[in-house]
Amino acid sequence: MNKKKNKKDFKTPKGYFEGFTDRLLDKMSSMEGNQEESILPEKEGFKLPDGYFDSLNKNIQEKLNDEVPKVIALNRRRKFYYYVAAAVAAIVLLTVGIQTNMNQEPTFENLAKTEIEDYFNNTDLGLSTYEIAEVIPVDELEISDITDNQIEDENIIDYLDNSIDNIEELNLTDYEY
Amino acid sequence: MIAEETLLNELKQLETQAKAFEVLVNTYKERLYWHIRRIVLNHDDTDDVLQNTFIKVFKNIDGFKGDSKLYSWMYRIATNEALTFLKKNSNKLGISNSELQDKMVSNLQADVYFEGDEIQLKLQKAIATLPEKQKLVFNMKYYQEMKYEEISEILNTSVGGLKASYHLAVKKVESFLKGD
Repeated sequence: MNKKKNKKDFKTPKGYFEGFTDRLLDKMSSMEGNQEESILPEKEGFKLPDGYFDSLNKNIQEKLNDEVPKVIALNRRRKFYYYVAAAVAAIVLLTVGIQTNMNQEPTFENLAKTEIEDYFNNTDLGLSTYEIAEVIPVDELEISDITDNQIEDENIIDYLDNSIDNIEELNLTDYEY
Repeated sequence: MIAEETLLNELKQLETQAKAFEVLVNTYKERLYWHIRRIVLNHDDTDDVLQNTFIKVFKNIDGFKGDSKLYSWMYRIATNEALTFLKKNSNKLGISNSELQDKMVSNLQADVYFEGDEIQLKLQKAIATLPEKQKLVFNMKYYQEMKYEEISEILNTSVGGLKASYHLAVKKVESFLKGD
């Protein structure tokens, strides 16, 4: 094979591709921020009371002085009784707790399916798709994660069984049956 | 302006502490005020959060190891205080964070310390629709004109990630403002 063919005819400046993403993002940002026709208002309309910053220092000092921690001395005998009471309470709680747990016999699998799903369903994680995308390292995803995990027929049938009330809704023709 | 290192040393010594703290408050009060105000929107709430921020800074100054700049550390405390304040408020009212954001923006109309016109009110409505991180980046970059490197240290996010967030935020805010 002709060696010349492998040689590239065009060159790029050294390090061109390394800094490309940064330069592109910079350009995109500056286009937005400095666009003459930008419709973003320059001021936001917030104002504050006159002389607010002049008195701020004094207000903070006053608040700091008010926050002197109170020291409550416990005498030793009383402390001893507290420890005893705490120990008894802990033993009672443990006993009750263990008995209750024994009745339910929780397994890790149950926990994983119900509790964790419940947590994700009912807790507002406050993460947008973009933020989730930011934390999931793309490098660790393999194409095989998608190709090897095909949905089995029985999963599809299970899904339809559980989520479709009326089979007519699917508008299937005889041929598709 | 006094060098950060000198100020930090003075803050950690009992005899110079009070004076140094005053300098610290005077140096950063306005910047932190506007940072917090853009998160909580209302002046009185901002005042509370700002005072708590400085009190936290004062109480924890011995624990500040100097791994980051004092300025970034204070911004981080202010951001956390402001977000915690919002979280507490939404829990107290039993509403979601986005419902709280809507409520805060609609309260602006009756706020004596808001003199924005229709477009400025719409801007706040637009910002309220952004996810938390994008909202922070947008305000810090566009209105506070901070550098990406500074924002990166405060929010502990890569500069690339911040640029992408900012780009998305501006696009969303602009399209909200263009729509009716």
